[in-house]
Amino acid sequence: MGYAELFAAYGEKYLLAIFETLSMTVLCFAIAMVISVLVTVMRVSPIKPLRLVGDLYVQVFRNIPGVALLVIVAYALPYLKVLMPWKVCVEVVVVLLASAFGSENFMTGINAIGVGQIEAARSIGLTFTQTMTKIVIPQALRSAVLPMTNLLIATMLTTALGSQVPLNPQELTGLVSFITTRETAIGILPFTVSAVIYAGFSVLLGLAGNAIDRKVRVIR
Amino acid sequence: MSAEIPVIELRNVDKHYGPLHVLQHINLSVGKGEVLVLIGPSGSGKSTLCRTINRLETIDSGEILIEGQPLPQEGKELAQMRAEIGMVFQSFNLFAHKTILDNVTLGPREVLKMPKDAAEKEAMELLTRVGVDAQAHKVPAQLSGGQQQRVAIARSLAMHPKAMLFDEPTSALDPEMINEVLDVMVELAREGMTMVVVTHEMNFARRVSNRVVFMADGQIVEEGTPSEFFDNPQTARAKEFLDSIRGH
Repeated sequence: MGYAELFAAYGEKYLLAIFETLSMTVLCFAIAMVISVLVTVMRVSPIKPLRLVGDLYVQVFRNIPGVALLVIVAYALPYLKVLMPWKVCVEVVVVLLASAFGSENFMTGINAIGVGQIEAARSIGLTFTQTMTKIVIPQALRSAVLPMTNLLIATMLTTALGSQVPLNPQELTGLVSFITTRETAIGILPFTVSAVIYAGFSVLLGLAGNAIDRKVRVIR
Repeated sequence: MSAEIPVIELRNVDKHYGPLHVLQHINLSVGKGEVLVLIGPSGSGKSTLCRTINRLETIDSGEILIEGQPLPQEGKELAQMRAEIGMVFQSFNLFAHKTILDNVTLGPREVLKMPKDAAEKEAMELLTRVGVDAQAHKVPAQLSGGQQQRVAIARSLAMHPKAMLFDEPTSALDPEMINEVLDVMVELAREGMTMVVVTHEMNFARRVSNRVVFMADGQIVEEGTPSEFFDNPQTARAKEFLDSIRGH
């Protein structure tokens, strides 16, 4: 079987898989960004229990392999009567991982701001919330564009965890498993196709991230 | 003569950093329109003292009063009080992601809830006054240090403060930019602004201040008018300090 036959037989499934991978990526990344802002605000808040919870969140989800987390969410949680659709299980895992790393990116951005600007904000009478929303978060967001681009790419690649549970339709990696199981003689071909698609989108995202960074970067 | 309530008053203020007793029983009051200069060797506690006045540093015991009212502990009341005391930092601390104009209008718009047009009009007047109106639409990194510090002064003035604190405002500047900042401060003093200035600029202290407070090792060692202090220091510690800075 060559490319022509592969696409004739599975072209439509590939298109669906691309859509599945991209839509999961966009959804998970968007939710992860919101959560990472919240977790980061907790981590820099003046309230100690909040800081501890924020730090714990990051330490836990940054340091567990994605597959292990998926096993817990998809196969252990049902014993605690938490039963979610397969796709939601994958998305929960991707969001947990991405938000932990996302918070680290924001922390780096916040550390670059320096205590001086925060003191200046407080000295003109801004409250903690105003200092966060007007000074800290905007700068942290703008200086986190490049690491967040990397995280977006990593998020896309992490959706490949979907190959470990029965999804319908499948995402790109799951589709490869599906095809190789049915076409035992096909060899490396379906892998190559998926790999090229992943790589292509990664390059595009990287270029877009660079362009955004040039536009919004805070000159210091 | 009726006793006026001081704008700033510190009563028996103490502060420790671990084993270091950085502020020891500080009593100090600053009257309306007074320009008080805090000088002393590095590590003497003068910057810390300046920063406690708007509670960027907490104190362990004692009282700080602003126009007779005790400094609130935290939260909205503290933010409100801070808005009434301007602060100018050694390292300018302009908001790096905002234009010069937005740096000046942020406080009036967010804290005083001024409408955008009015805030911008006033900000442009202030920027003209400190001579950086032509840079209004640039970002801080595009300005020289002296220009940035003048913007920082305008940013404080936009809040119509009752008093202004200057924490070594010229120490991070190249020598040729020091005077442009001092000129703005001299002008402010002439207009009757109540000022507390931590500085190493002895000429400024002599020319502009009403009172010099000399600190060493966390204590107020000596205070007096500039001519009393500079021409006839009373304590050995002050004499030693003045000799060391006159040096050559």
